[in-house]
Amino acid sequence: MPAFFFYFFSALTILAALLVVLNRDAVNSAMCMIVALAGVAALFVLLQAYFLAVLQIVVYAGAVMVLFLFIIMLLDPKGRRVPVSEMNLVFGLIALLALALGAFWLARQYPAVAELPAIPQLPTDDAPLGYATAAKTFGYGLFTRYLLPFEVAGLLLLIAMVGVIVLSKRTPPDSNDDPAK
Amino acid sequence: MQPGLQAYLIVAGFLFAIGFAGVLLRKNTLIIFMCLELMLTASTLALVAISRFYNSMDGALFVFFIITVAAAEVAVGLAIIVALYRRRHSVQVDELNYLKH
Amino acid sequence: MDLSTLLTAILLLPLGSAVLIAFFLRRRGNLAAALSVTVGFLIMALSLDVVLSWNGQDLHVAHEWLRFGDYSFSMGYYFNHQTALMLLVVSFVASWIQLFSVGYMADDEGKGRFFGGLSIFMFSILGIVLADNLVMLFVFWELVGFSSYMLIAHYYTTDFANMASKKAFIVNRVGDFGFLLGIVWCWNHYGTVSLIELQTKLAGHTELLGTHRAIAISLLLMCGFVGKSAQFPLQVWLTDAMAGPTPVSALIHAATMVAAGIYFLARVFFLLSPFTLHWIMWSGAAMTAFAGLCALGQTDIKKTLAYSTLSHLGYMACAVGLGYPQLAMFHLAMHACFKATLFLGSGSVIYACHHEQDIYRMGGLWKKMPITGATFLLASLANCAIPFFSGFYSKDSIIMAAFVKGSQDGPMYFGVYVLILFGALCTALYTGRLFSVVFLGKARSEVASHAHESNAFMTIPLVVLGLLSLGGGWATYGWTWGGHFTGLLPSSCVVVFLETFKQVHEAAEKTGSGTMLELINLGLVLAGLATAYLFYGRNPNGDALAAKSPATFHVLERHGWFDDVYDWYVAQVQQPFCDLVGALDLLLFKFAFGWGTGGLTGLTGSVLRRLQTGSIHVYVYWFLAGVILFWALSVG
Repeated sequence: MPAFFFYFFSALTILAALLVVLNRDAVNSAMCMIVALAGVAALFVLLQAYFLAVLQIVVYAGAVMVLFLFIIMLLDPKGRRVPVSEMNLVFGLIALLALALGAFWLARQYPAVAELPAIPQLPTDDAPLGYATAAKTFGYGLFTRYLLPFEVAGLLLLIAMVGVIVLSKRTPPDSNDDPAK
Repeated sequence: MQPGLQAYLIVAGFLFAIGFAGVLLRKNTLIIFMCLELMLTASTLALVAISRFYNSMDGALFVFFIITVAAAEVAVGLAIIVALYRRRHSVQVDELNYLKH
Repeated sequence: MDLSTLLTAILLLPLGSAVLIAFFLRRRGNLAAALSVTVGFLIMALSLDVVLSWNGQDLHVAHEWLRFGDYSFSMGYYFNHQTALMLLVVSFVASWIQLFSVGYMADDEGKGRFFGGLSIFMFSILGIVLADNLVMLFVFWELVGFSSYMLIAHYYTTDFANMASKKAFIVNRVGDFGFLLGIVWCWNHYGTVSLIELQTKLAGHTELLGTHRAIAISLLLMCGFVGKSAQFPLQVWLTDAMAGPTPVSALIHAATMVAAGIYFLARVFFLLSPFTLHWIMWSGAAMTAFAGLCALGQTDIKKTLAYSTLSHLGYMACAVGLGYPQLAMFHLAMHACFKATLFLGSGSVIYACHHEQDIYRMGGLWKKMPITGATFLLASLANCAIPFFSGFYSKDSIIMAAFVKGSQDGPMYFGVYVLILFGALCTALYTGRLFSVVFLGKARSEVASHAHESNAFMTIPLVVLGLLSLGGGWATYGWTWGGHFTGLLPSSCVVVFLETFKQVHEAAEKTGSGTMLELINLGLVLAGLATAYLFYGRNPNGDALAAKSPATFHVLERHGWFDDVYDWYVAQVQQPFCDLVGALDLLLFKFAFGWGTGGLTGLTGSVLRRLQTGSIHVYVYWFLAGVILFWALSVG
């Protein structure tokens, strides 16, 4: 059963990703991106990383992609259909193929470890940062070992907020520009 | 056949390759940005898979941070793109180019 | 105070004076003059103290100065009888000439500069006198050349002075190039440049001087002498050097600097091969005759005296070549006295005639300037080597030594004797001409008729030096007067010269014609003086020779066309060569390096510029390439 789900969701994800790249309409691309992210979340669930799966949906597919859609609608609602030039296409496909092969080869370097026996919900005392499925484990790791990166990440979010506010201020219209609307 | 570590890593690798190809192929800045996010997601998948198979929480915690940083980055990046749009009235990459050669 | 401290004081006092004048006293000419003269007399007093209290032992002191690997340059003193004599001569003559300059340069604006130059010159010449190794000697040699350059160009507003000073320096440089090669080769061959060590190395091994290398080294060292003492073929700078003020001509170009070459030869006499000595002898003798003739073709009083100096330098060189360096030193000392007197006398005359230097516009000055005239007469008679005057003892001995060599080593050397005898005749001729034309007869120009005796600053040194040119040589005879004097000096200072003098006279006696030689000399000189008076002196309005035989006069006036030959060489041979080298240089640097490296850089720049396309995709491709490169590096 898990095997079938794995193949289904990975095929879904890869197909959606391809559609993101090959779609001419920006809004369509964004929609396909959401599907791809949902597929990745499903794969997280298959790996028993439930917390991360939910996080992915809520933050990534929910907030980030919505933001993307906002901006696409703002800037490019009709979606100018610009064809991809042939040269670029050739190069891109070559790059794609090369990368895919590279990734394949790289992945093969890792041992073909099959599914391990069941993991606990909460970590045990003798392996406090061992893999566990409960959200509590994240709290445990974040507030002991990774406290500093946690604080820094908070600061980073603050900076990003301030930066966005500064960047989106409307500059007074100068005479050098085309008539700014 | 049970999907092993290799299978997950192959999927992550393909996702990364597709994202990279997208960056190279597309001319719309917003789509390029989305493909960047796709690459990030691929890396998170790889991290979770390894974390699971090697029985360590470190990878998953790292993913936590990646998602945080990606969110902040998207916010700032989109603000920049909006500011660029105000100047050049376009989001196509070749029209944004100020340099002459 | 011990000897070495005294010597240091003597050496450094003029340096201190020069530094003070250079920094503070350049505008205050009178203060500078006072300082310089005081220092000069102080040095004279100290030198007398040194010489009188010397115990006769050679002193050698050396300090290491620079070190390069296993070779070190040292600075030190080597004090022997030659040093003592030269020190006495230099300090004595220099102090009186400095006093004279106070009077001569009284109305000159550049007084401070002048006395500063004199002080630095004193420092340099004392350095040469005291030096104990060839490198230190060379350093001070160059310093002396620099001081001479500075002082000749004192009247720097005139083109003539500037060109003359450059000429003096450059011609000296040519000689010094050979000198430097000689010093380097000497170090390479003998392993040392210290005079003491060279002396001990060569003592008793005179056959070492016969090797080709030794001959070459001594010839190269001789080049320095040729440049500094204006011998053939580098004599062209001395007459032009008369562009400097007269005290400069007296001090530098008569008494001390040009004599430094002779002093140097005497110091390194043990290094000179017989071949070199032959060369020096012949060229010295030739110079004596040649310069004597050229003196007859000059109408400028200072140029005549310059040729006289050249002639006497020829005598000194000849003495060295004959193998009697002590005799050369003796003549150097005597010559310093009377030549300085002659130059100072001419300076007094020039000053009185408001800087008129043509002798045919002077005349009748005997009555108007008695002191100058009397001292000039004394010095002229010494110049001609009249018996009992100072020049007689040394010059006569040289002529006798030449005769002795001729009778001992073969009749070919009689040529030397004939040449310097002819030189003596010419000396009498030009001296007589000079004296008659300048002092006797009637005044031939406005300025000459208004001349009057110079002030005390100028006459006192004239009297002192004039008396010395009369009696300086009496130390050689055990006369009552001289005997007291020799008793004062420690025997070792004078005894060497006395010994040489006796040696030569005894050798002359042995050939059987000792008295005959003296009579020939005397007769020749008196005849020359009489002829000069009769030919030139009887109220001339122009040069008698020029009037009677213009062609001869013209030959003498052009002094052998040396200047013209050198001018042609520089303009027609050297200059085109330099232009060629300059063009090659331009070719190399402008084209090869300008186009080459500059072009290469430009090309690289324009290639790299294409990387900045502004297209994100291109940047991403490059990024990918970079990642692959890093991965390849990390894996393999």
